[in-house]
Amino acid sequence: MMKPLVEIKNLSIRFPEEKGIFEAVKGVSFEIHRGEILGVVGESGSGKSMSALALMGLLPKDADIFSGEILFNGRDLLKMEEDEWRKLRGSEMGMVFQEPMTSLNPVLPIGKQVGESLRLHTKLSENQIREKVEEAMCEVGLTDVKRLCRAYPHELSGGMRQRVMLAQAMVSSPSLLIADEPTTALDCVVQAQILSLLRDIHEKKGTSILFISHDLNVVRALCNRVLVVYKGEIVEEGMTQEVLCHPRHEYTRSLVARIPAYDGRGQGEREMIRLDNVNVFYDVKNGFFRKNGSKHVIHDMNLTARDGEIVGIVGESGCGKSTLCKTILGLHTNYTGNVWIREDARPQMVFQDPFGSLNPARTVGWILEEPLRLRGIRDRSERKKRVSDMLEKVGLDASFASRRPRELSGGQRQRISIGAALLMESRLLIADEPVSALDVTIQSQILELLLRIHEERKMTLLFISHDLNVVRRFCSRVMVIYKGQIVEEGLSGEVYESPAHPYTRLLLGAASMETEMEASYAEGKTTSEEKEAALCAGTGSFGCAFYDRCPAACSICRQEEIPVTALGETHWVRCSVFAEKAKGKIN
Amino acid sequence: MKYFIKKLITLIITLLVISFLSFAAFSVIPGDAALSRLGKDATKEQLLALREEMGLTDPLPERYVRWLKGAVQGDFGESYRYEGITVQSLLEEPLFVTVLLSGIALLMILVFSIPLGIASARFSGKWLDVVTNQISQIIMAVPPFFLGMILTYVFGLTLHLFQPGKFISPRESFWKSVEYLIFPAVAIALPKIAMVVKFLRNSVLAQLSQDYVRTAFSKGNTSSGVLYGHVLKNAMIPVVTFLAMVIAEILAGSIVVEQVFSVPGIGRLLISSILNRDYPVVQAIVLYVTAVVVIINFVVDILYQLLDPRVRSV
Amino acid sequence: MKKKNFNLIAGGAITIFFLLIALLGQIWTPYEPTAMDSMAVNLAPCAAHPFGTDNFGRDILSRVMAGSGSTFFVAVSTVLIGGFFGTLIGALTGYFGGWADNMIMRFNDILLSFPSILLALIFISLLGSGSYNIILALGILFIPSFARIVRSEVIRYRDLDFVKSARIMRAGHMRIIFAHILPNAGVSILTAAAIGFNNAVLAEASMSYLGLGIQPPDPSLGRMLSEAQSYLSNAPWYAIAPGVTIILIILGFSMVSEGLRALKE
Repeated sequence: MMKPLVEIKNLSIRFPEEKGIFEAVKGVSFEIHRGEILGVVGESGSGKSMSALALMGLLPKDADIFSGEILFNGRDLLKMEEDEWRKLRGSEMGMVFQEPMTSLNPVLPIGKQVGESLRLHTKLSENQIREKVEEAMCEVGLTDVKRLCRAYPHELSGGMRQRVMLAQAMVSSPSLLIADEPTTALDCVVQAQILSLLRDIHEKKGTSILFISHDLNVVRALCNRVLVVYKGEIVEEGMTQEVLCHPRHEYTRSLVARIPAYDGRGQGEREMIRLDNVNVFYDVKNGFFRKNGSKHVIHDMNLTARDGEIVGIVGESGCGKSTLCKTILGLHTNYTGNVWIREDARPQMVFQDPFGSLNPARTVGWILEEPLRLRGIRDRSERKKRVSDMLEKVGLDASFASRRPRELSGGQRQRISIGAALLMESRLLIADEPVSALDVTIQSQILELLLRIHEERKMTLLFISHDLNVVRRFCSRVMVIYKGQIVEEGLSGEVYESPAHPYTRLLLGAASMETEMEASYAEGKTTSEEKEAALCAGTGSFGCAFYDRCPAACSICRQEEIPVTALGETHWVRCSVFAEKAKGKIN
Repeated sequence: MKYFIKKLITLIITLLVISFLSFAAFSVIPGDAALSRLGKDATKEQLLALREEMGLTDPLPERYVRWLKGAVQGDFGESYRYEGITVQSLLEEPLFVTVLLSGIALLMILVFSIPLGIASARFSGKWLDVVTNQISQIIMAVPPFFLGMILTYVFGLTLHLFQPGKFISPRESFWKSVEYLIFPAVAIALPKIAMVVKFLRNSVLAQLSQDYVRTAFSKGNTSSGVLYGHVLKNAMIPVVTFLAMVIAEILAGSIVVEQVFSVPGIGRLLISSILNRDYPVVQAIVLYVTAVVVIINFVVDILYQLLDPRVRSV
Repeated sequence: MKKKNFNLIAGGAITIFFLLIALLGQIWTPYEPTAMDSMAVNLAPCAAHPFGTDNFGRDILSRVMAGSGSTFFVAVSTVLIGGFFGTLIGALTGYFGGWADNMIMRFNDILLSFPSILLALIFISLLGSGSYNIILALGILFIPSFARIVRSEVIRYRDLDFVKSARIMRAGHMRIIFAHILPNAGVSILTAAAIGFNNAVLAEASMSYLGLGIQPPDPSLGRMLSEAQSYLSNAPWYAIAPGVTIILIILGFSMVSEGLRALKE
């Protein structure tokens, strides 16, 4: 058997800290074979990126490689001259980072950045470099590369930037590509594209890939072999399917733990919220002399939720989910149509980002007392008592009242947010991606808390998410939104078992990542780049909003109004193709 | 181009607003040209007649337009203090002297602070950086006029490198006047050098912690390759804006420092005119200096746009 | 915090020391600050006059003590005026936005691009000199810089989820601004105040040096320096005490502001 490309032996990395030393990586050993895709899974702070950074020689300055060897092609990098190691970076090993928005230099043109490693490591002429750059950019699925080479990063969408990052890592055909959470910052559809691109590169060039992620589904779709990292140690290692189907270590088991399921109990009949033909607009300011225009964000939205119901709202970022929330909560008033909320609903919201949703200048106690103060409870001791009761209810204890938000973890903060909403005696809770910023193990805990509270209080829950796996189990009814329009609605089972709208199918495909089929389906008839451009652009003037990305699109999709077709008592879809089919049946 | 026109329009509006304010401000205070020409003993009738004759009773906007027309051509009327002498002729030489002084100071700032700032960032935490940092902080705390006094004492009175108070007009000998202006320029420049060094250092350090720096290293750049090829262009963008402020501060510094070294520039003229209530002169100087500041800001905005592609495409 | 905040501690110590000196100067000085003594003109530092005497035979130590008092008085008053109105304007315009915000901030930006000394000179030439006019002029001039800092802080927090959350709970606008947002701007406002003190001391000293600030017989450090300049060759010590005092006061404030900035990070 060939020697592995990379062998890491007993690697320990330490950071000096206020009190003693923090050991981020504790004697880790593993190897990357030639031509394999090795996945590394772990939660944030587990040290999963540290060994990759050590391999690249990119560790933060205060990091101390305490012990171990990093063999690359049989040579120990740690014993190498710095200059020799540097010459491997960008030629023999390339890296792609998590944040495509900030990982490119904002003031240099794309072409220059992609070609830089060639300029550093080869003696190619400028013309040869340009050719190679254009070739590399074509290979990652970018089009119109000549123009793109002169563009600057801010002119590109996130997905395009990540492609550029890939191109600049791959331009010198390295034997190892390190991808550190390359798709985490991207939408699920774009995420699927980048993953299939990685797979392509791997197949075409035989590059070894070290793929770091917190997301098991992504790793499952891409990697042959997987390492599970927990608190700086490798707790499990093996073939991906094997590890995920039969996890041995407790931590791995909690990673693959199932999302708590909602059985539909406690649904009442009374309507809690009702939206009739709601259209929402945003003012757009144009330039110096202020030509005011407005952008139509939400189109003809009809929505109802009953007492005690959990309704899932699914869509990718920018589809109008947060505008919808704002409108329901009365924070955005530029709309037509009718928004009705029952008087005793006192709608409250749990936000996605646990770091922005609590006031950093105040204590947890103050934050939780605020809803009580606003409800007019003057008695301080009464407020304090209710706060400490609530802290226990959300799974914390009374001592948290004196802490500040920055001392808490993401999960604890989400608990506080939920507690604050409950202290308003809310009957309608809107949860906007409440768990997507959390580690997988914490996710299920927070979802369990929401379910428990729902069971107790029987309030209505609007659950907004891009994560179909969560929505499927957690909600009784699902609405799929595309560009501000509901394109499909039905009971969870209906939508997931027989998705009708092409967009729903695309989302489901991207989520489960069922290899080639969906990937080619996702590519559709346009190039990926065009599709992204369409995603970023506003809605077309006529007909179906999904027209540009739809593989089944035909001329009828361009008609003025797309009719709604009922597929069952509770299941309907907004798609011309279905409308035509239905007509055919009737006629 | 759109950006340029937009900024140009803003510039013109700003200049108009400033000129109006500086005109209006000085027309509300008691005492006017008629009073100053006739003196305090004049009777009311005489005053009224002269005011009528000089057009001082016209409505404010009318007087403003007339004044602005003159100002654009460099005609600010006559000085109150020196009878029969136009403001413009009083200003001519001081204006040149101050421009010369500020120019020397600016040159010193650019020559010393940029390399020092970069070096300080590059060796951050090392002795060079620590020493620069401490010295900068102390220098920034020294008022320019006291710095001027120290320089006068050390280099003028003790070492006799120049003769305090013996300024030679550039009309007599350009180079001799430059020679004299070197020490005043140091007094102005030194605190600003400290400021720019610190600003540039922090700007470079802030850039060094950006994600794209890691990307640049991952491609096999050396640390100086990252610094000069990637970081500096980003770090200079805020520095350019900061330099606009520094130039304005140089002008302010020269007002005070001219007093210390008895340099007959705009600043000295401004102070003596304020003390003598010679308002047409004050008004003219204020207009000149503010116009210079506004125009420099305009130039910097344009430069900024050339440096930063993100602004360019907006 | 890794290192002890050296800047904050040392700067704070210097500031407090001079504040105490200045306060002491209000109730007790070794000599009457304005008392002249024709027998003791331009004395070099000695046991009776640790910092020497000036051209009228006045004790320099006593005058520095009294002068520090006026320096602090001017600095504190200006920062209070500028801080109060600036915070108010910045908070309201930042929170509500709109055309008023646009106009005020445009105007602010123009004002801020001018050196404060120049603007103070214009004010003084309109209002006349004297310590109250200096306070008024500098106080007004400091409003824009406070307003800008507070505004940018308010804008930074305005659209964060915790503010939305407060709005969803039906908290009033004023409650949101003052109870939810502004506590987050506390350190920034303090930093701005420290920089403001720094600038105020410098501006007051410069104005007084130019003869447009505090008027005699009130003692002032800047004024002392302008008098000292005429005797630089035969009585250089005259300049040292007031000059070093100004430097240290400014240094103290600037170290405090540095320390506060580090604290924020």
